Amino acid sequence: MALTLDPALSLALRGGLALLLAAAAWHKLRDLTAFRAALAGYQLVPERALRVAACVLIAAELATASALVLSSRAAGAAVTLLALYTGAVALNLARGRREIDCGCFGPAARQPLSFALVVRNLGLIALGLVCALPVAARALVLLDGLTIAAGIALGALLHGAINGLIANAPRLRALRGV
Amino acid sequence: MEQALLVSNVLLWIAVLALGALVFALVRQIGVLYERVAPAGALMLAGGPRVGEPAPRFSLDDVLGRATLLGGDDPERRETLLLFVSPTCPVCKTLLPVAKSLAARESGRVRLVFASDGQAEDHVAFLRKHALDAYPYVVSTELGLAHGVGKLPHAVLWDARGIVRAKGLVNSREHLESLFEALDHGVASIQEFVARAGGSR
Repeated sequence: MALTLDPALSLALRGGLALLLAAAAWHKLRDLTAFRAALAGYQLVPERALRVAACVLIAAELATASALVLSSRAAGAAVTLLALYTGAVALNLARGRREIDCGCFGPAARQPLSFALVVRNLGLIALGLVCALPVAARALVLLDGLTIAAGIALGALLHGAINGLIANAPRLRALRGV
Repeated sequence: MEQALLVSNVLLWIAVLALGALVFALVRQIGVLYERVAPAGALMLAGGPRVGEPAPRFSLDDVLGRATLLGGDDPERRETLLLFVSPTCPVCKTLLPVAKSLAARESGRVRLVFASDGQAEDHVAFLRKHALDAYPYVVSTELGLAHGVGKLPHAVLWDARGIVRAKGLVNSREHLESLFEALDHGVASIQEFVARAGGSR
């Protein structure tokens, strides 16, 4: 039997990832200057190409988010995008430049780079890979609506909580005086 | 049976969502607590003159060739905010307008001086780009060493007699303002304030 994914689960996962990407794009659009500054901090894009790269990333996030809602074929694009970000973070961690702003969720959530961020992203990539599985044929019933909506909401809450914990970690270290 | 499962499932989802919301809210609350406790204002690092000690004296020409006197008695009885920045530090760029607005607000009372090290040409371009012409901008590795600057942006605030009143790593408007708070209240840092409060209990 080939490995398949229940359509309700698939929709919940895709909806959650789409919401994540759309929120990320929204935060970047709201403060473009800060996003460009964060992008420059990664030192991966030449200064002249910053403006273009910022626009391309935001457009890619929005396009992937909307495509994910429609079809599970966009899972590959989402995984690519997440892998790109994770690679950028991991590369700068390897360079020892952990003081730069992550730029993940806008300047208000100023987060330094950390290993936890890479782990979180790997988790998201794993979810994206699950999305890429073929979807089983099954008619959706009313209860699936609840599963999908509640699943997306729970995903957003947990993601927010995990982000909060990651953002708090350096403050806790500062308090302990390490 | 199916009806029972349905009811139990719906109930469980409601419970899980409620718990998820609860965890999220708790994490947010912890974040707020950290913000209240930690802004510790500017993080104080070891090295350089300590609070209460005189700032090292320097007589330098800034990148535009203006003579700049640092340390000692200020002839105009102003306090000096020395801000160490670098063209390659993103946080510094976000702090420049903040520093300028603070200096404008406290104008007459505070002299804002920028400091950095490296090649003078890079700094002239940086200064033009961010319209810092109105302020002295000195480039001196010795100055950074004398103040024990480790991470940027670093700020040192000294009074009209050249005595260091507050200093530290500044990442935000709050941090910069906390230096002035420290000057006004005679407390070097929030850590010291908390320690004093604890000691008098």
